[in-house]
Amino acid sequence: MRAKIWDIAFKDVLRSLRNMFFLAFGLGVPLLMAAIFYFAFGGAGGEGYQVPTTSVIVVNLDEALAEHGDFSAGEMLLDFLSFEDGGGDGSMADLMTITEMDGAAEARVAVDRQEAGVALIIPADFSAAMFEPDGESAIEMYSDPTLTLGPGIVKGIVGRFVDTLAGTKIAANVALARLAEEGIKVGEGELQDVAMAYANWAISLVAGEDAGNDLLTVRSPLNPEAEVSQDNGVIQIISLIMGGMTVFYAFFTGASSALTILQEEEDGTLARLFTTPTTQSTILGGKFIAIFILLLVQLVVLLTVSSLIFQVDWGAPLPLVLSVVSLIVISASFGLFVTSWMRDTQQAGVIYGGVMTVMGMIGISSVFTAGVPNVSPAVKTAPLIVPQGWAMRVFELAMDGAGVDELILPVAVVLLLSVVFFAVGVQRFKKRFA
Amino acid sequence: MRVMDLLLKDLMQLMRDWKTALFLLVMPIAFTLMFGFIFGGIDATGDGETEDARLPVGYLDLGLGASEQPTSISMHLLDMIERSDAIRPVELTGVTVERAQALVADGDLAGVVIVPVGYGERVLNAGTVSKPPPLEVIADPNSSTASVVREGVRTATVRLMGAVEIAQLSAQALEARGGTADEAFVAQALDDAVAAWQTPPLAIVETRSGATTTPEDEGPGWSENAYAHSSPGMMVQFSIAGLIGAANILVMERKSKCLRRLLTTAISRADIILGHFLTMFVMIFAQIVVLMAFGQILLGLDYLRAPLATLLLAVAMALWTASLGLLIGVLAKTEDQAVIFAMVPMFVFSGLGGAWMPLEFTSETFQTVGRLFPSAWAMDGLKNILVRGMGLESVWMPVGVMLAYGVFFFALAVWQFRFE
Repeated sequence: MRAKIWDIAFKDVLRSLRNMFFLAFGLGVPLLMAAIFYFAFGGAGGEGYQVPTTSVIVVNLDEALAEHGDFSAGEMLLDFLSFEDGGGDGSMADLMTITEMDGAAEARVAVDRQEAGVALIIPADFSAAMFEPDGESAIEMYSDPTLTLGPGIVKGIVGRFVDTLAGTKIAANVALARLAEEGIKVGEGELQDVAMAYANWAISLVAGEDAGNDLLTVRSPLNPEAEVSQDNGVIQIISLIMGGMTVFYAFFTGASSALTILQEEEDGTLARLFTTPTTQSTILGGKFIAIFILLLVQLVVLLTVSSLIFQVDWGAPLPLVLSVVSLIVISASFGLFVTSWMRDTQQAGVIYGGVMTVMGMIGISSVFTAGVPNVSPAVKTAPLIVPQGWAMRVFELAMDGAGVDELILPVAVVLLLSVVFFAVGVQRFKKRFA
Repeated sequence: MRVMDLLLKDLMQLMRDWKTALFLLVMPIAFTLMFGFIFGGIDATGDGETEDARLPVGYLDLGLGASEQPTSISMHLLDMIERSDAIRPVELTGVTVERAQALVADGDLAGVVIVPVGYGERVLNAGTVSKPPPLEVIADPNSSTASVVREGVRTATVRLMGAVEIAQLSAQALEARGGTADEAFVAQALDDAVAAWQTPPLAIVETRSGATTTPEDEGPGWSENAYAHSSPGMMVQFSIAGLIGAANILVMERKSKCLRRLLTTAISRADIILGHFLTMFVMIFAQIVVLMAFGQILLGLDYLRAPLATLLLAVAMALWTASLGLLIGVLAKTEDQAVIFAMVPMFVFSGLGGAWMPLEFTSETFQTVGRLFPSAWAMDGLKNILVRGMGLESVWMPVGVMLAYGVFFFALAVWQFRFE
């Protein structure tokens, strides 16, 4: 009996490995999806994610102030944005390309036509506002509404410059008001000295940041000892995506492998097998073992290839083993369960394409919400209504560096679900072939 | 007319299979709603109303003394963060650092600012005694919000330190004129400077064109329609997935030798190819129209603001997709192959074309490669109408590119078409 069960299992495994469907959806598509995202975030170049350059049009309408030595804040901003080695975070040229235009309307049209991502329109009274006591002015940042990253970067950089200028005016105004309270009338020269002192302070602050005197230290919540680095950000994103794809397609493999039972039933070979001295339990047992083996093959290949090519970190060995075993068990048993309810193979399309896909997407939705702020509790909990969600939870914990003790609960839930699915599936098949 | 007979036959065959509706309509609608809900229809507070769309950032002051009163510097910093247009502070009292980290790890907060003990005093003495310690910010590097949080906190910090510097400069100016700058003077100057930052004299005003932005007077809580990306994205993706059924008709006809039998009838080879192609075109076009209607009526997307432009895009999308479907039906020898040949291009075209996430977030190389695909142009054309608020002039290029791909796939399919 022992030899026969393995013969049957081996036959089914060989059949599946020769099946293009399994090769495509069990191995090819998950790796393809991970490769697309790896490529999308610049992983292929080995330099990590590089923020794309934003095309910026600058319209400088600012009027230079002849009475203040032709001072023009607009010209200063233009020089600042065009400065190749400025910015504090690397070259400005890496972040934006600057084009000058004469008219605001023309610049807005260029943004509308996607010839640029952002148009900066410096108003005529920009410099004047700095010297008038109650003067106020604003730079208009007109951006492509489909963009968020580029305009955000431009706003951050321009905002720093504008804040420095605003600070000089605030410094002068506060000094004027405070000294007036003390009964002291301050001359324009003194106010300019205060403003200039503030400007020098602001410049030295930025210089200090460039030299490593950071105002902030950013740390990851999971590994607070390590400062956040962009180099491992891509790998973490790809790891999460690869984890999701592995879980998603493992369930497909489980179900499609179990489908061979129905296929043999329709082909008539199963009925012929039942007429042989080989018991029904041995036959079905061999098929069940084949499902487990196929899943093991799939997971070993996916985990190995993704580690080698995409540098995915699957976690410590023991949690990884727990993740793999629990995924194999639940996807095989769920595949059996689902297939046991199918009348024939014709229903496979709707089951795989509809039910399994929707359940899979719900189960791995944490992959999509990973970078989204303010996710509601309902969205965070939704994956746990499907078995894929629990399997994904185990993988996420393992990849996040959780220990075995943190994995006990989700693994226990996965195994319990597996027992239920397996028991119901086997019972239904026994009844079907009785 | 025989073309029409073949077209009607194919359509009836497809309509009898209810799985067709599943792939053509049910699934794209479900995924549109799901992605739109995840990426935009999120209730930040959980109470059914999104009042403040700014990112919540925890504020943990470790320097709270026994009296539980924050220092003036800490209060000013909190005030500066509150005035940010990108982040909003969530005061954490009685919370440990570990718990604060967990809140970020769980996604309850976009980040946490930790104010170290003695920060206020060191800020006030900065430059004369020592540099203040850096503020610690806990933020998830996998999240796109980490940089927003960092910049928001940095801006608030720089403004605060600037206010301190202004107070000190005012004190120096007073002393230069023979006055005495006592603590009260410095404190008042600091308060004045902080108050002045509430409405800075020089600022940046953001404007943009767009069909989905709400009026400015709705305040900082407004946001784009979340479905403006997921609706066209899923439309592009599932138009390809919907080809499976139609391509399988060709596969089945060839396998059952029905195609060969057709040749013995009066229908020409060209009519057979055209009939099957038109089936796919009509099916995909109908799918696009239904999904657009769904978006227009139920999701608040204004596909009809430029009806002719939208129609041209729908026709072009249906044409290139149908051409691809014909090619799939021609190349596939079995039903399984038809599924694989449809699904793999679906993933590739959707992923590289920006249907899943905007190409803006990807590397420049990826964007360049993505633009080679008709799916990227379809997304561009649809977003020109939905988000950029543009009209007919904005769709000529996308339509032209999609038609070119349609011709290419069709020519390839005809060249490879085998009746046996």
